[in-house]
Amino acid sequence: MLTVQNFSHDPFYNQAFEEYVFQTFREDDVFLLWQNSPAVIVGSFQNICREVHVETLRRLGIPVVRRMSGGGTVYHDLGNVNYTYISRQDGMVDYDRCLQPVINALNDIGVPARKNRTCDIAIGEEKISGSAQRSAGGRVLHHGTLLFQSDLTVLDHITTHHKNDCFQSKGTASAICTVTNIVDHLAVPMTLEEFKQRLLDRMVPPGCPRLTLTAEQDAEVCRLRDEKYHSWEWTWGRTPAFTYEKSGTFAGAPIRVAYQARKGIVSNAEIECAALDGGEAARLLNGARLDPEGFDEICRTLVGKRAEELMDWLL
Amino acid sequence: MEKELTMPKLRPEMENGVLCAWLKEEGDTVTAGEPLFEIETDKVVNQIEATESGVLKKQLFEEGDTVNVETPVAILETK
Repeated sequence: MLTVQNFSHDPFYNQAFEEYVFQTFREDDVFLLWQNSPAVIVGSFQNICREVHVETLRRLGIPVVRRMSGGGTVYHDLGNVNYTYISRQDGMVDYDRCLQPVINALNDIGVPARKNRTCDIAIGEEKISGSAQRSAGGRVLHHGTLLFQSDLTVLDHITTHHKNDCFQSKGTASAICTVTNIVDHLAVPMTLEEFKQRLLDRMVPPGCPRLTLTAEQDAEVCRLRDEKYHSWEWTWGRTPAFTYEKSGTFAGAPIRVAYQARKGIVSNAEIECAALDGGEAARLLNGARLDPEGFDEICRTLVGKRAEELMDWLL
Repeated sequence: MEKELTMPKLRPEMENGVLCAWLKEEGDTVTAGEPLFEIETDKVVNQIEATESGVLKKQLFEEGDTVNVETPVAILETK
């Protein structure tokens, strides 16, 4: 077992870092610990708009990052610790083989954790960790969250209160679970930094390689961050095909919005509302990229100062 | 010769998987070991690799489709 140290809190960089390590360090098992500043991380094949209220996140300045593993949407902040466990895989998917060493390590450092459902870790009945995997080329990357002292109010607000059923979509839906913070279940208190250090020492005992990326390797991670994880094609272009429909009242007039999107490109847009030019709206939307910034611009063109209000009818 | 690639059974409990992404288009040449498509089941995204070299002749499902295990997903024309 070896570790590669990563002190970045940039969620885009950190996804790229993990992918780079998965592709590059192929000779040994790898265990990583890392943290993100506030960000929403969605599964490889999820419809972002169905899982979270994109406009709320845009206003809060919380980025949405698509990861390369399966599963549902999670909220990360600096009270949460992420771990990654990369190992060989011979055929079958096996969560226990990845989860058990982590659970044992947690128990060793005084966290009364146990396995729950297929790939969760819980204290009692409350979840402290969810995980997901990606496998390719005979290797498996297993990663998970560890809620140490996250802001559970924000987590709950973002991941459970804004499911958007206007989107009829294929793709992976998220599960909603009761969660708790590890810090509230410790017989002997420890800080987040102590928690990280002790967990790392258990998983990667002293004497095992503790590496840092070279400048050249770091440049590769930055290239992957910019070319993949910051790209529209990865974040929005991978949205499963969907149809959208919503109706209500905009600027005092009835409104009905419908459109489809395939590979993130809008088609068959229909907007019926006396308060705006429906023909112009359809013309602007058809062929447009599914993208909050682009949609915001379209709203500004159509209704000027009421753009924010119109946005709520489009996404 | 035609060779079928099927939806693999990755866990004993697995009944089906979602075809998330085609990594090759029909008519593309593929070499053995190259990833052909991605599937998702139980929070795992799995890259399925071509077992032999050839040409991807037919994509039997669309991205987003749920496919039962052991069902053919792709037809590969091999030499």
